Amino acid sequence: MNIFERLIAEPFERFFERTVEFLPLFFSALLIFVLGLVVGLLLKWIFARFFRAVGIDRLSERSGTVELLKKGGMQDSVSGILAKMIGWITIIMFTVISMRTLEIPAVENLLESLLLYLPNVFVAILIILTGYFLANFFGRTALIASVNAGLKLSGLVGRLVKLSIYLLAVTMALEQLGIGRGTIVIAFAIIFGGVVLALSLAFGLGGRDIAKEYLEQKLKGEEEKKDEFNHL
Amino acid sequence: MDIVQNTTIEDFKSILLHHRVSPVFKIATPYHGIPGKGSAFRMIFQIAKALNVKACAVVDSDLRSITPEWIELLVKPVIEDDFDYVAPLYHRHKYDGTITNSIVYPLTRALYGKRVRQPIGGDFGFSGKLADYYLTKDVWDTDVAKYGIDIWMTTTAVANKFKVCQAFLGAKIHDAKDPGADLSSMLYQVVSASFELMNTYPDVWKSAKRSESITTLGFQYAVGLEPVAVNLERMIERFRLGVKELRGLWEKVLPQEVMNFLNKADALTAHDFYIPDEIWVDIIYSYALAFHSKVINREHLLKSLTPLYIGRTASFVRENWESSAPEVEDRIENLCSIFEDKKTFLAENWE
Repeated sequence: MNIFERLIAEPFERFFERTVEFLPLFFSALLIFVLGLVVGLLLKWIFARFFRAVGIDRLSERSGTVELLKKGGMQDSVSGILAKMIGWITIIMFTVISMRTLEIPAVENLLESLLLYLPNVFVAILIILTGYFLANFFGRTALIASVNAGLKLSGLVGRLVKLSIYLLAVTMALEQLGIGRGTIVIAFAIIFGGVVLALSLAFGLGGRDIAKEYLEQKLKGEEEKKDEFNHL
Repeated sequence: MDIVQNTTIEDFKSILLHHRVSPVFKIATPYHGIPGKGSAFRMIFQIAKALNVKACAVVDSDLRSITPEWIELLVKPVIEDDFDYVAPLYHRHKYDGTITNSIVYPLTRALYGKRVRQPIGGDFGFSGKLADYYLTKDVWDTDVAKYGIDIWMTTTAVANKFKVCQAFLGAKIHDAKDPGADLSSMLYQVVSASFELMNTYPDVWKSAKRSESITTLGFQYAVGLEPVAVNLERMIERFRLGVKELRGLWEKVLPQEVMNFLNKADALTAHDFYIPDEIWVDIIYSYALAFHSKVINREHLLKSLTPLYIGRTASFVRENWESSAPEVEDRIENLCSIFEDKKTFLAENWE
């Protein structure tokens, strides 16, 4: 075997053999990927019509989802977003399958780690969404209750309740994703505890006179003139 | 019943001929069931059914002006005149019963076409047949089990064509208001029961035309009433707080012209404060439509009505500061007419 064969021809042969081995895999991967694109677009089209037909847009408008999306800068309808999500999930699934078809160890390892992490991302998104709805609901409950109780700082009460729940949800989501596990919980505890302490101090120092007046009224019976309506 | 020798009212020398000495058969039982007026009434209906009674009467427990004649007035029309439901009719202070006067009476009258003046009076007479009918309804897990029971009883009787009348009972004087009773919860329960009934009987209320009087029994006489203390400034402040904080929520429910008016009313002084009848009717009908189409959570929706109701009550108090009882009644009559006139708006927008 001469040097030319060893240095030039053999590598070329090996390369050619590997290319010949790889090409069918590549074409089948490409085929799966294209098929994924077609199926994804088709499913997106079908589900967009299905969600519109079952009135999901109306339902999401009532539940405040549309408001949330608009705040986040999204102009699409909820049915459109859901259909797009289904389409993209399909395309991603087909892409993953097509990449696995290539049988490249590095890509396989990467995909495996990604697939194992994906459930955490979904759970985190779910926590954030649930947190957002609960924050809105309880924030509004607190706002209405404090307005009806005649609290001048009703707006602040509503916003504080909303923010606390949202902050809790974000902390839980980050915990789920494993980002700064201990740090996030400690930071949340410090911030939340700090806010409560600040409010206690503010009320204790700033509201000393009000508290005194309130107690005096209660103990001495010098109450504000109240209505004696029987509303019913 | 006492029987005296034939005599006149000025003659104090009449001879007592007969006095009932035998005791009246009675069953007294405490109620230990689920808390709530409606739940307690359910037990009364069940007892009435078990005893197969011909007539039954219920009265509020905090009454100070009740006399033995009330029971007769509530029960007799059922026994002797074949009525199924006897609503009360009282003389009340002009500022008393504001939920009744500004929402429940005008709304019920406009919707179902019967002028039951005290649909949530709390003291009612009803037939055993009607008590049986009430028990067939599955409403005991809703607001009907609480303060909503009164309007539910009245509306169910009217909407299902039971024979309804009202009996004049005199003055309604009750114990001082329970300090624990939360206005917004009370308003929520009563209004939600009224709106829920609109969902139950849409065909009945859509087909009812102008309202008509119902039979009124009992001799109507003038009565003395106790004064009612009012803190107008505080009420207007509550309204303003509502405009400031709940504006965003109201915008989802109320038409733009009502919102424009509320923004203007926010700037009015206590001396000029005024919410006209037309605006108030638009508010109630818009809330009814929002409740029906579930624009937002129903409890949030109805509890956000409280500042508007307080504002309307403040306006009513200010307008009628100098008015006599009949003048106030005329104003309520005018409000009822507007409720009836604008009913087409409600029917047309009901999906």
